[in-house]
Amino acid sequence: MEEAAERIRSHTSLLQLTQEKQQMELSHKRARIELEKEAHSSSRDLQRQVDQNQDLLTKIRHLEEKEEKLSQALSEQLDNNKALKRSLEELKKQANEKDNKLGEGNQMISELKDEVQTLNQKLQIQESKFSTQNLENQALQEQLEMQRKKYQEVNQKYQSLQSSQLSSTESELKIKELKRRLVLQEQDSIIVKNMKTEVARLPELEREVKRLQEDNLYLRETKENCSLLKEETEGLRKKLERMEKVVEEKLKLETLLHKYCKNYEVLKLLMKLAFRRTKPKKARAQLQSEATELRSKALEEQKKRENQDALVRRLQKRVLLLTKERDGMRAILESYDSELAASEYSPQLTRRVKEAEEMLQKVQAHNTEMETFCIILIILSLSGYPRWELAEHTLQKMNPPLRSIALKFNVVIVCLGRQKIEELESERQRLEEQNNILEMRLERHNLQGDYDPVKTKVVHFRLNPTQVAKQQRAEELEQLRAECERLRDRLRKMEAGGAITTDDTTLIIPPSQEILDLRKQMERAELKNQRLKEVFQKKIQEFRTVCYVLTGYQIDITVENQYRLTSVYAERMEDSLLFKASGPVGSGNMQLLETDFSRTLTELVDLHLFHQKSIPVFLSAITLDLFSRQTVV
Amino acid sequence: MAKTLQGITLKGSAELVAEFFSFGINSILYQRGIYPAETFTRVTQYDMSLQLTTDPKLKNYLTNVVTQLKEWLFDCTVQKLVVVITCLETNEVLERWQFDIECDKTAKESSAPREKSMKAIQEEIRSVIRQITATVTFLPLLETACAFDLLIYTDKDLEVPEQWEESGPQLIDQSEEVRLRSFTTSIHKVNSMVAYKRTNSM
Repeated sequence: MEEAAERIRSHTSLLQLTQEKQQMELSHKRARIELEKEAHSSSRDLQRQVDQNQDLLTKIRHLEEKEEKLSQALSEQLDNNKALKRSLEELKKQANEKDNKLGEGNQMISELKDEVQTLNQKLQIQESKFSTQNLENQALQEQLEMQRKKYQEVNQKYQSLQSSQLSSTESELKIKELKRRLVLQEQDSIIVKNMKTEVARLPELEREVKRLQEDNLYLRETKENCSLLKEETEGLRKKLERMEKVVEEKLKLETLLHKYCKNYEVLKLLMKLAFRRTKPKKARAQLQSEATELRSKALEEQKKRENQDALVRRLQKRVLLLTKERDGMRAILESYDSELAASEYSPQLTRRVKEAEEMLQKVQAHNTEMETFCIILIILSLSGYPRWELAEHTLQKMNPPLRSIALKFNVVIVCLGRQKIEELESERQRLEEQNNILEMRLERHNLQGDYDPVKTKVVHFRLNPTQVAKQQRAEELEQLRAECERLRDRLRKMEAGGAITTDDTTLIIPPSQEILDLRKQMERAELKNQRLKEVFQKKIQEFRTVCYVLTGYQIDITVENQYRLTSVYAERMEDSLLFKASGPVGSGNMQLLETDFSRTLTELVDLHLFHQKSIPVFLSAITLDLFSRQTVV
Repeated sequence: MAKTLQGITLKGSAELVAEFFSFGINSILYQRGIYPAETFTRVTQYDMSLQLTTDPKLKNYLTNVVTQLKEWLFDCTVQKLVVVITCLETNEVLERWQFDIECDKTAKESSAPREKSMKAIQEEIRSVIRQITATVTFLPLLETACAFDLLIYTDKDLEVPEQWEESGPQLIDQSEEVRLRSFTTSIHKVNSMVAYKRTNSM
């Protein structure tokens, strides 16, 4: 067991060792391969290095060649440099000359500034004058404005006047129109009154017509009645005669009656007497029988008498009636007779009849006119529908013939009435629609908040939130405006203070200390500059005056390189000499130029300039000459 | 107060209407955002929950107006109450909440209380306030800063106290109007309507 285990262990160790050996071999191989690779790579590198080396050598050669070239170029450049330096020196000299000229220019500037100062003073005077003028101008403008206001007021008044005039003319026109209308209306009213009176006369005319018609009928009837009446009168006459006879009989009977009555009374007395005297029995029987007989007779007589009385009464009545009839007939007959008295009977009647017929025709024509007029009136009255009842009333008032004619036109009336009704219906509908629209509009207005200012007013609390909010807003606005103004002022100050804002002024950086320092420095430098200028000017001025005094010539630079000399003893202001600098500035070569004055000095010029070639001698000679000329010894 | 048991008297009716206005105006201010929502607190009234302002200045102003209104309701001299909402930037009137008041003047003489139950009145007021809340859905938004004002339409001859002044009706230029519900206490009838400025649809 243990041997097996050991064998196994040794086996395993063997295996492990073989594995390790294999691994070692592998690693060896790998290492060899790597070394070969490295060798290859190093050989390559070496070759590369060699190549590089060669390249570098060639480069070095190139560079050496370049160096040579550059050294040549450098030498050339040095030469150039020297030449440039020389030119620079020359330029410096020119610059100096220019500075001199600048100095002179500055002198001119100073002079000009003096002039400017004088001009400024003048300007100030002018400005003061101008301001006074401005004040006057303002005062005048104010006056002008007042005048303009007055003018406007006057204009307004004038316009109002014109408008009032227009309105007055219009009103006058209206008045005229109204007067015309009034006159027309008065005329119309007069016409209407006339018509009214005529219309009022209408019933009377109708009555007259009626009467005339009745008269006509009556006349016609009377014509027939005439003959009848005559027959009647004859008959009545006969009756009258008979009646008269009867009256006579009656009178006779009355007398008989009287007699009988008297006899009766006498008999009665006799009877009484006889009754008292005679013997009672016989006489009484006889008397009684006689009495009875007499009584019966008396009764009969009484009856007769009564009958007679009644007859008499009837007869009397009849007589009265007949007498009346007779009288009437007599009167008619008399009237007829009187009518017929003068001439014949029928022509007068026919004439009468003709006249009556003519009258009748006229009346009929008038009647028809009146009828048509009435119909027209009816139609007119009906056309104005409120007078419908009036029209009916007039219809009722009218007399029958007119009414019948009017009623013939009933159809027309009915049509008109129907038309009226339709019109009224349509108007009613229109009015209803309008009413609806107005009600809707009213409702809408009510919804929107409208009100009737006569009955209603709108109130609110004074300190209400809207008021408060508006006030707050206004205050905020004021504050913002004030801030805005402040910022604007600040900006203006900043711009004026010297910060050069070229394109954008949005960024306003507050001035830093450096900038302030620099500004101060700049101001100081400017002040310095100004002072130097002033000093320089003074000095130059001094120098020039000294030159003038000592040398006797005033030297001015007219143009570039030209100098004008004016002598102190010059006879005229224009006498001057002109010199020109011929060489570079500072070398001192001057040439004299022709002037009028120099032409007078040809001898001196020849002597001093051409022969002696000295300008100072020439100038002093001129001075002496001029001096000698001025002062007469 | 003689309004719960025995019926509505003129005084009781005036108080009811003034109370309604007080809560109604607060609702309008809250719904339209005239004042920030944080300045309002919730209260219960008419069996519903309503918003009431806590801003002291506003409260003071409303109390002043409502007490005066109550007096005028009792005298039956007030015709309308209007809540006018104005834009502060352009000074234009944007909205007008108008309440027409019809007073039965015979109640002044008779002084006998009218038969109408409190419940019914409260129910009507509730529906009006609910409708005011609902109208916010179609009213145009108030985007700019706004302020409100209370106008009262009274009889022409009424003497107003010192703190009140006459004003214009502050009508809206080109408005749309909507009629809302009304309620009545049998003595006072209140009709409500809202008018708003027509917005030009983009």
